[in-house]
Amino acid sequence: MTNLSEIVNLKKHFVTRVVGDELIIVPLTGNVAQMNALFTLNETGKFIWENIHDSQTFDNLLNSLVSEFDIDSESAQKDLNAFLDKLGSTLKKQNS
Amino acid sequence: MTLKNIFLNIAGYSIELIPQTLPIEIETGYKYFVTGKINKPDITIQCFEGIPEGLFTDIKPVFEAENDDQRFYSIYETKDSLGFIIYNQQNKTEIQQIAILSADFKHWQIYSTATPQGRLIPLSFPMGPIVMQYLTIKNDAVMIHASCVYDGEKGRVFTGFSGNGKSTMSQIWASDGDLIINDDRLIIRKEGTGFFVHNTPMYYPDIPKKAPLSSIYLISHAPENRIKKVTGAVAVSRVLAFCIQNNFNEYIIDNNLEFISGICTKTPVSDLGFVPDRSVIDFVLNYEDK
Repeated sequence: MTNLSEIVNLKKHFVTRVVGDELIIVPLTGNVAQMNALFTLNETGKFIWENIHDSQTFDNLLNSLVSEFDIDSESAQKDLNAFLDKLGSTLKKQNS
Repeated sequence: MTLKNIFLNIAGYSIELIPQTLPIEIETGYKYFVTGKINKPDITIQCFEGIPEGLFTDIKPVFEAENDDQRFYSIYETKDSLGFIIYNQQNKTEIQQIAILSADFKHWQIYSTATPQGRLIPLSFPMGPIVMQYLTIKNDAVMIHASCVYDGEKGRVFTGFSGNGKSTMSQIWASDGDLIINDDRLIIRKEGTGFFVHNTPMYYPDIPKKAPLSSIYLISHAPENRIKKVTGAVAVSRVLAFCIQNNFNEYIIDNNLEFISGICTKTPVSDLGFVPDRSVIDFVLNYEDK
């Protein structure tokens, strides 16, 4: 499972911009190969991204997600875990 | 020997090339972009003879523009300037030019080796496109790999990966009477409240051209014509991916994101799979009429 502190560190290597309810994420890069490797997050992904910070814990993030989007805790936990794994691996790949 | 400054107007931006010790010349593609004297150019380029040694030897590049086959240039960042080492496109171990860009992106110093005729060609490829790219950064503009055609009313931009049909598409529309603004590299800039598309000097001579930006199509070849509107963050990210950018710096990325967001707010962006024949013209026109 990807831990939050790992994502916090990786986030520093990306520039973001909010467009409507979505988020664009662009890697800071030192070569041309990564220039097209930008991606977008929907409203839920944007909420999670914006709430990942130094002092954040998984449980707090989960609670925020449940109260913001009115979903049951069990589904939210499963989806959050899957999202963080996917986000972590994507960030690592684009920062390599 | 009299040293003559050269003035260029590219995409409405004025550039003054200032020789220091040797006469300068421009490649043939710049011929029709030459203009009369401009008192306050947007950027100046001082042109020096010789390649200075020892610059940037103790710092790491912040950006390398190279692929498996070619090495174009390296960028170095100092506290008050950016430095560029431009490599010879025939021999990538040989330095073609060195350039220094001031922090405000307005003043270049370009060092080049003299030709056998004792002249300097400061905007030799890829130095020229680099100058144009950095010209856009602080000027509400962006440079993009795309083709654009103009029917006298609307400027349609077609962008996509190499081989996706940018030139083919522009030829199809040209055979129907449209003007090709360019089929490879464009500058889109904000002028007043609208966005306009300009061509830039290529390796062949062409006159400066301009069209209002009406629509952007993200193109690819397909077994039949199909189209889908793209909006929001996806539209911005898809268009940005085809812009010419050096993403080593947060400011540059922010600037591009803001500018492309502005374009996508005002301009429809669509995914267009197309069959490379005239049927795509009617298909697009019908779509735009809906």
